[in-house]
Amino acid sequence: MKRLAAVVALLGMAAVSACSSTDNKPAATGGAAAAAAVYTTVDGNKPGIDPAGPANPFAPKGNSFSGYNAMKLAWVKNHLTDPNQFYPGIAESWEIATDNSSVTIKLQPNNKWSDGSPVTAEDVKLSIAIAYTQGNTAFTQVPGAAGSASEVTVVDDKTIKVTQDMANPVTTFARGVLDTPVVPAKLWSSVVGADIWDKIKAARTEGADAEAARTYLTELGKKIIAHNPGQDLSAGPYVLERVNASAALLKKNPHFYNAANVAPEKVQLLNFTGNEQVWNYLIQGKLDSSPFVAVPADTMTKIKATAGNQVIKGYSPVVVGLAFNQSKAPYDNVHVRRGLAYLINREEVTQIASPEGGTAAVTTSGIHQKAAAEWLGAELGNLEPFATDVAKAEEEFKAAGLKKSGDKWTLADGKPWKVSMHAPAGFSDWVAAQENIKNQLIKAGVDAEVVTTADFPLYQTEMAEGKYDTGFWLIGLGPAPYNIFQRIYGAANGWANIGGKVTHNAPGKNGNWMGSKEEVEVEGLGKVNPGELTAKLNAVSPEEQKALMLQLAKTANADLPVIQLWDYVNTQFQNTTRFTGFPADDSDLLRLPHGVWIQLGLVKAKS
Amino acid sequence: MTVVLKKLAGHLARGLVMILVVATISFFIVRNIPGDPMKAALEMKVAAGADPVAAAQEVKVIYGFQPTGSMWSQYVDYLAGLATFDLGTSTLHAGQPVTEVLTESAKWTVLPVLLGILMSFLVGVILGVYAALRRSSKLGDILAISGSLLHGVPQYVLGLLLAAIFATSLGWFPSEGGVADILIEPGFTPEYIGTLIRHAALPVLTYALASYGGWVLAMKSSVVTVLGDDFILASELRGMKRSIIFRYVARNAILPLFTILALSLGLLFAGAVFIERIFNYPGLGLKLIDSVTNRDYALMSGAFLLITVAIVVANILADLLYTVIDPRVRQ
Amino acid sequence: MSELILETSTASMRRNFWRGVWRVMKRKPSRMAGVVILLGFTVMAVIGPLFYPENLPYDPNAKYAPISWEHWFGTDGQGKDVWAQLVIGSRYVLLSALVTGVITVVVGAGLGLFSGFKRGRWDTVLMRLTDMKLTIPGLPLLLVLSTVWSFGSAIEMGLVLGLLGWGGVARAVRSQTLSLRERGFIEAARGLGLSTTHIVGKELLPTMAPYIAMNMLVAVTGAVYAQVGLFFLGVLPYEADNWGVMLNLAVFGGGAMTTTAALPYLLAPLLAILLLTLGIVLVVDAMDEIFNPRLREE
Repeated sequence: MKRLAAVVALLGMAAVSACSSTDNKPAATGGAAAAAAVYTTVDGNKPGIDPAGPANPFAPKGNSFSGYNAMKLAWVKNHLTDPNQFYPGIAESWEIATDNSSVTIKLQPNNKWSDGSPVTAEDVKLSIAIAYTQGNTAFTQVPGAAGSASEVTVVDDKTIKVTQDMANPVTTFARGVLDTPVVPAKLWSSVVGADIWDKIKAARTEGADAEAARTYLTELGKKIIAHNPGQDLSAGPYVLERVNASAALLKKNPHFYNAANVAPEKVQLLNFTGNEQVWNYLIQGKLDSSPFVAVPADTMTKIKATAGNQVIKGYSPVVVGLAFNQSKAPYDNVHVRRGLAYLINREEVTQIASPEGGTAAVTTSGIHQKAAAEWLGAELGNLEPFATDVAKAEEEFKAAGLKKSGDKWTLADGKPWKVSMHAPAGFSDWVAAQENIKNQLIKAGVDAEVVTTADFPLYQTEMAEGKYDTGFWLIGLGPAPYNIFQRIYGAANGWANIGGKVTHNAPGKNGNWMGSKEEVEVEGLGKVNPGELTAKLNAVSPEEQKALMLQLAKTANADLPVIQLWDYVNTQFQNTTRFTGFPADDSDLLRLPHGVWIQLGLVKAKS
Repeated sequence: MTVVLKKLAGHLARGLVMILVVATISFFIVRNIPGDPMKAALEMKVAAGADPVAAAQEVKVIYGFQPTGSMWSQYVDYLAGLATFDLGTSTLHAGQPVTEVLTESAKWTVLPVLLGILMSFLVGVILGVYAALRRSSKLGDILAISGSLLHGVPQYVLGLLLAAIFATSLGWFPSEGGVADILIEPGFTPEYIGTLIRHAALPVLTYALASYGGWVLAMKSSVVTVLGDDFILASELRGMKRSIIFRYVARNAILPLFTILALSLGLLFAGAVFIERIFNYPGLGLKLIDSVTNRDYALMSGAFLLITVAIVVANILADLLYTVIDPRVRQ
Repeated sequence: MSELILETSTASMRRNFWRGVWRVMKRKPSRMAGVVILLGFTVMAVIGPLFYPENLPYDPNAKYAPISWEHWFGTDGQGKDVWAQLVIGSRYVLLSALVTGVITVVVGAGLGLFSGFKRGRWDTVLMRLTDMKLTIPGLPLLLVLSTVWSFGSAIEMGLVLGLLGWGGVARAVRSQTLSLRERGFIEAARGLGLSTTHIVGKELLPTMAPYIAMNMLVAVTGAVYAQVGLFFLGVLPYEADNWGVMLNLAVFGGGAMTTTAALPYLLAPLLAILLLTLGIVLVVDAMDEIFNPRLREE
């Protein structure tokens, strides 16, 4: 009989924990009233919550969450074509000089830190000094870098003016300035030191002293990342209450300028190590909103079935393409690349790899289709769409001199040809897509294989070393037009842009693994140097930018350094049972931290 | 007692050598990992919408925490750091010392592992005695085979099955991991302890099930060995009471198990990798995976070293325990 | 003369041994089942993949299809048959297991025998080394190693696992050798004027064979699981078809832990591992009884 007793005891233990679990359920989710006061979400930029992390917005695992208890001067809208549009943050308004030579920033007049002291221009100036150590396009240590600030002036307690160095200006100057995180001088001036501005000045010249100053700033950057201010002093809508390994809990900052319109009393940001955790949160209806995570189809159905859950789609300035290493035959032949473009059914690839998070590319233009429609207008329809067409592919292959023996394509000399695609192992959507492309190509008589690399660092390194024939590569990373095209006509393809001066490296040298020709013959445009065109995008007027973007899109479409496969879609989730007022489909707010929605007073408690 | 002390000194010396060897191995493996994490980090930031110029500086600062200099001088620095329990600075948790990151996660491994092992030890030992005494019956057979099966099945299979049944299908326990509901005020309250238990239940149960089989098997074979000993036979012949004989048997059979108990503590540290990944329980194992996938070299060597130290300490404990328990070894 | 007697006695011992094996097997049908399971897996790994084309057919419209007559375990996220992948994947798993087994036996038994036979300083040094090796946590070491080594082929994988896994067998064989020694086995053979090679090759090894096999099975099981586990964690590139890859894709890609669609995809490799474990457990159980007469109680 004793053995039974032991088994019963074991079962009993399980039952006890099971009971306690059901008992605690109401407490865990809170009562109905409490639930409305707490807003639950995850911070996509901070997946793993670290209870030991300091309240430091510069520390990668710090417990300062952008939009909630960490603030920026303003929130960049990532408008499709205009990079200089923002939502107010620490700044209430800003005035950009027509020639982009300066930005004058007016702070929120009534904004205070969570201890009740006002947010001043001095806080902002100190934060700008810190930006020099952490990385910012306007505040950079590199002497002569395009679009850097030459002067920072405190006009009055609530006004600050930043001037651009007009020797080498860029149109996106204001974007860099306003994208600066702001921290309280009270807690940070001791780390930064009084002589910081002298050092910054010195760093931006040439010579040994400048070198020493830059080293000093980089070392200071490390000190700043490691700094533990001890307490959370926030000028945002929330301030840190407590953290454990499951979540961070934030409570409302009553001194925030817009506190009256901040609906949720508390925010909990849940920890996640993998996407599957977010799926679980969503299925349970726990999250009031969630940023994009890749979701398998069946899980999506279940998420949609949860009461109040809705799926919102917006623009995401990311595109994935199959990039060629043109140093390797036969990919140096444009007809081979075009032939492959005709063979690959992008709809099918997208359906397999990213059915919810992407739409099949309409063609290869180098630009996300949403942005392309804005930049190119009707011209987008005039690009070759590369719709799946086996006959055209055969024509192209024949033009390239490839041979067909039996039902298999071989190289011109009769040697076997195998399209070898590479992807990092952890990127499941990429691997799935390549598996599908492999299957499609094999069906069409082109032998193919998928080779995965252990991880992303190795993938990046081997790719840059030119070890792969083809591999996936993110392109169209907007919204700044220069950033979009420097992905295919930038450093990875041989064009180095240092301080506005463009030079070209030969294929296989200095990270040029794509190895496109330096000049391409494009129908209707003649000979173009796409790298130089791209570099021009930085400084010219919006009208000229439009013309350049069209030329570059035509070049990419004709020369195909990559085959554009799918354009990512920013698929997000919102739950309307506790809160309302969420941004709708295609809103530019979807690209900002959800804390920004709350601080702007958009999110309302459901009555 | 001096024998024990002498033994301890010897163990400590060997343990130190062991730690040095492992530290060296992990140092050189880690320094030879191909691929550039800075490139990947930059690429990730740019893909997430950061400007390439700004992102480059950010990455430079974060990876500034990596040691520089020749391999040899780095090695010397590393060992010097070890002597003062300084394992370097993390890049994944840039700015934070590795020791701090590891202490934070270690507590979430130690507690569940201890609980799981103790539970399984109690149950396993009792059932092991039964399996031995009734080894020719159906029940004995079932106990032995099920013990072997549970012992043989990898922990992740158990973990996945438990998660699929109790978290996904039945929903009794949270399936999303973590340690406690943040909305519940921490403290010595039934609510807080309840939420801790709820989150730890499945990992603990998996540890318990994974080690349970081992106890049944070890206890069974230990009891069988003791039953064959002459003194049991003699006492049986002398007509001693069965209950007294049983006590004899149990006491002598359980001795070797204490050593295994100490050993298994160390080994479970290593096994925490799977269980913590499946249940997203933020312990040492998950931190090790994190450090590997994020190429945080300092954290990777640190976590690996800490797990080895746990095993070394467990081994020393086991051996000392054996010396103390079994008088024959002492002489 | 004396040699002859020893020879015939070993021969009859061996005959008795096989008879004993048969008896032990017959006594519990479960043990037969164990042998059948292991044979089944071997056949699956050796011949199974031959039945499938190099590139499995796929159907983008049948992602995560449910279990049906056509797809015994449904399909995966590409619309490929799961059962076929299980069969193809068994080759990598079992081939690496074979390599691991061979290395474990050769290195482990070799060192163990040498150590137990020579005793003295060699023994101390070798056993210290073995202890040290046993102390290094295998799985974390593999995790760290996975960053420098991609384990592309089953043979490479088996090699590494074998080199990491011989410790247990070495220890076991050494203690067995020592105990045979204590029983005067070796001295007796020496007295008969037999050479060391003869003693080791003809007398010690055959006696210990089942014991070695048993320990090898245990080591191999551990290695197989470590290997599948590494793929499951997703720290290895998965060019190879492997059960661990299936687990990984099912859980982290297909949402097998959140919804039921990908559940067959997850369960297929899980059940395969369970079944394989069961087979090994049953066979080890039989070996245990053959080898350990104390357990042989009616």
